[in-house]
Amino acid sequence: MSLFAEVWEAVKAVGAGLGAVNKRISEPAVTEFYPYKKPEIPPVSVQFLALIQNEDGTDRCVACLQCERVCPSQVITIERKRNPEGKGFVLERFDLDFANCMHCANCVEACPVSAIVTVGAFEHAVYDINLLKADKAMLDHIGHEARVWYSPKFGVELRTPEGKIQKAPPEMQPGGLAELLKAEGGEAS
Amino acid sequence: MRGPTTVEPVPGRTDELIINMGPQHPATHGVLKVVIGVEGERITRAVPHIGFLHRNHEKIEEARTYPQIITYTDRMDYVSGLQNELPFILAVEDLLGVEVPQRAKLIRTIFFELFRIASHLVWLGTGMLDLGAITPFLYTFRDREMILEITEKTAGARMLPNYFTFGGVRRDVHPDFFKDVAHFLDFFETRLPDYYALVLDSPVFQARAVGVGVLSRERAIARGASGPVLRASGVAYDVRKAEPYDAYPDLEFQVPTRTEGDVFARFWVRFKEMEESVKIIRQALEKVPKTGPYKGKVPPRVKPKPGARYRAVEISRGHLGTYVVSDGSERPLRVKHRSPSFANLQLIPDLFVGARFADAIAILSSLDPVFGEVDR
Amino acid sequence: MSRMPLPADRLVQPKLVGYDPTRPRPWLERLAYTLFFAALWAMVILAYGAVPALFRRFGWLSTTAGFLAYAVVEAVLAFLLAAVVALILIVVLRKYLGKVQERVGPMHYGPAGVFQTVFDALKLLGKEDFAPKRVDWLIFRIAPAIVFVSAFLLMVALPVAGGWVMADLNVGLLYIVAVSTLGAYGVVLGGLSQGNKWGLLGGFRAGAQLVSYEVPLALALLAVGVYAGSLRLSDIVEHQYGVWHVVPLFLSFVVYLVASIAELKATPFDLPEAESELVAGYNTEYSGMSFAFFFLAEFVELFLLPGFMVVLFFGGWHGPLFGLAPGSFAAGVLQSLYFLIKVAVWVWIFLWIRATLPRFRDDQLMDLAWKGLLPLALVGLLVAAFLRMFLEVL
Repeated sequence: MSLFAEVWEAVKAVGAGLGAVNKRISEPAVTEFYPYKKPEIPPVSVQFLALIQNEDGTDRCVACLQCERVCPSQVITIERKRNPEGKGFVLERFDLDFANCMHCANCVEACPVSAIVTVGAFEHAVYDINLLKADKAMLDHIGHEARVWYSPKFGVELRTPEGKIQKAPPEMQPGGLAELLKAEGGEAS
Repeated sequence: MRGPTTVEPVPGRTDELIINMGPQHPATHGVLKVVIGVEGERITRAVPHIGFLHRNHEKIEEARTYPQIITYTDRMDYVSGLQNELPFILAVEDLLGVEVPQRAKLIRTIFFELFRIASHLVWLGTGMLDLGAITPFLYTFRDREMILEITEKTAGARMLPNYFTFGGVRRDVHPDFFKDVAHFLDFFETRLPDYYALVLDSPVFQARAVGVGVLSRERAIARGASGPVLRASGVAYDVRKAEPYDAYPDLEFQVPTRTEGDVFARFWVRFKEMEESVKIIRQALEKVPKTGPYKGKVPPRVKPKPGARYRAVEISRGHLGTYVVSDGSERPLRVKHRSPSFANLQLIPDLFVGARFADAIAILSSLDPVFGEVDR
Repeated sequence: MSRMPLPADRLVQPKLVGYDPTRPRPWLERLAYTLFFAALWAMVILAYGAVPALFRRFGWLSTTAGFLAYAVVEAVLAFLLAAVVALILIVVLRKYLGKVQERVGPMHYGPAGVFQTVFDALKLLGKEDFAPKRVDWLIFRIAPAIVFVSAFLLMVALPVAGGWVMADLNVGLLYIVAVSTLGAYGVVLGGLSQGNKWGLLGGFRAGAQLVSYEVPLALALLAVGVYAGSLRLSDIVEHQYGVWHVVPLFLSFVVYLVASIAELKATPFDLPEAESELVAGYNTEYSGMSFAFFFLAEFVELFLLPGFMVVLFFGGWHGPLFGLAPGSFAAGVLQSLYFLIKVAVWVWIFLWIRATLPRFRDDQLMDLAWKGLLPLALVGLLVAAFLRMFLEVL
């Protein structure tokens, strides 16, 4: 008799598996139609790096060489010269080799003026690996194209359609929870 | 060097077929090569060859500063990326004498356990793929995708986020983080019964797994196995209990253990671990303050005092330890990683010989090696 | 130094081919698959009903030349039908697996990817049919043909409606057993001839599996023959007017179900080609059209084995006729639809099992065949004999 019980148990278990598969048939597919529908990438996501310029077109970068120093794969090359008009330095060259970049964002962490940032753009692919060597004009361009970016010092920033740079609302900020909770508490009281 | 590790055909013996399984084989989880001799379907000899993915981690790390090294540790076990950062960070924190805020510890623990679930989901999917079932693979990857999205929103990358740092975490969490994690846990608990129905309770799976690849308690200890492989052989050793780190002393959880030591036991232990992880994350979510400091005070230039420190954590595959020797400069004198998959992989000759060829695949997937970490 | 192209320059929108999956039109997708099914139905009517009726109407079958012409025309039609069946079933399998796995499956070529297999077939046609140096060339080339021909020969004996069959053999059951065994040769020879160790192991496994499961399968068929009192398939269908054979011959039905999944080499019995163990098993070294023949044969069998199951156990073409005279052409059209619907239900169940279960191990497979199914099949044969005896007495 135990043989029949065993067979019956096995049949029931197989039936449970079949049921588990079949009930998924009505669930919506999770497939993303990538090249036709582009996903939204959060601004903290380390994909492209970009140099941000101020609203008046001047560089935020002060050529302090912090990013060059912390880069683990040494992809950043900076040349600078003394500022003839005042103190500090001006950039002569800022090269970033995306082909060797590890996407660790140590440079973004290290930047004292939020000049190098992570942006949401992510389509790197090119046919020639040499084309991944970005110069300053390229990095500036990515920065100009960016609508939203992140750096630890200023948090997530937005570029409005008029070209103004603003701080993003707390819903987008890492650690924006404190502000949100305060606002909620304020409304309640 | 072709030493005694290669399998040579025995002269005059015609019933043994020598097969190179790997490095391009669908079931070797990357780049393992096992040279096996089979007699019909029964395996007579097995010699694993590793090193196809060797990237010289430990030597590179000697030439990098401490914050730079965190980026490299991610790349060892890329399936559970974030977990690999922790032993190195703990060791350096000890050397620096940094105080980590409780909130940072809890956030780290939440991520650590999320990545344990993610890694076990990958293992479950690929393991069932090795056993011939395609459907669980897509279900598990769909669930894992949710974890990766949560991670990307806060940590900045999906698999290799480089998020933990000395004294805490790199940046505060995204405002949706706690909500997302709670939602994922609720969702995941509705999916678990399906995995039981498709895998553990399935009679075909049980026929394949029960009594296959039995690893005795003594053998497991002698070979230095750790993680679920060790716990399935009846040793309740878990670094989270033995040497608690981060927020684990404050959290309550069980260490699932089984005594059979077969493939089924290893699958069972990992299933139960996923359930325990859900419980741990729920407790941590209750305890974690919504706002507060996420990073302790760390000097801008990380220069630990001269000395050495070994810290270990329990990653998804077992005991991952990192030994850091500091000479007081910006760069460590030596970094050594003790990786669990490498030790677990030594069991291959023990478990393969005498098994059937199809069993060998099941045994390999139950060991769950990741070659980034085996070869380093 | 050439400069990195600006992101705006390389955001090339890939061109959409045909159907736009991002804006799904469910009615169009359903219509496309319904039309596919209708095409299959039309092919079945043409091959099994219209052409034989035409030949019989003009009495051409009595002359030698007419009979030869009939054979040639039917062979071409059977080949086309086999191709259509395989094309439909491959895309249905992929679409079904996509559905249950929470993804979309094929989607670009035609609404919801209905023409995916057409393009796949064109691709395989265009590929080099490569033979490695160490193969046994003649056997390597013949093996796919044997496999395909055996699947395709089975089509001849399939009765799809009252009087609709290409060749109404009086030894139909024996013919099924004989011809389906032929396919095993192709698989084994294909595995052994290619000078590849994975292929060799796959060939071993295929030999053991297919030969073993042939025995319970044949016994299950024999039980039906004993119960119905005839080996002619149309007689067997006629015999089910009272009650379908699945009720009295339930044991034989279970044996046939399991053994036919094993004959199909589908999960959980896909050991000969177990892709995670043997890379690709018996067809490791095949490419291009040689591979396509193995592939096509598999899917033709996925149609034929449920087809014979319906014929033997589920009353074949039986269904309400709404006053149409049995034997008329209109009745045949309706009956072939009933037959196809029943087959479709069983194909769905086969796909469902395929989506769910993991794979058995080789020794468990043998255990199941010889210790489980063979005794069961013998008991089923005994039951059939007793029932037959009672019927005779009554």
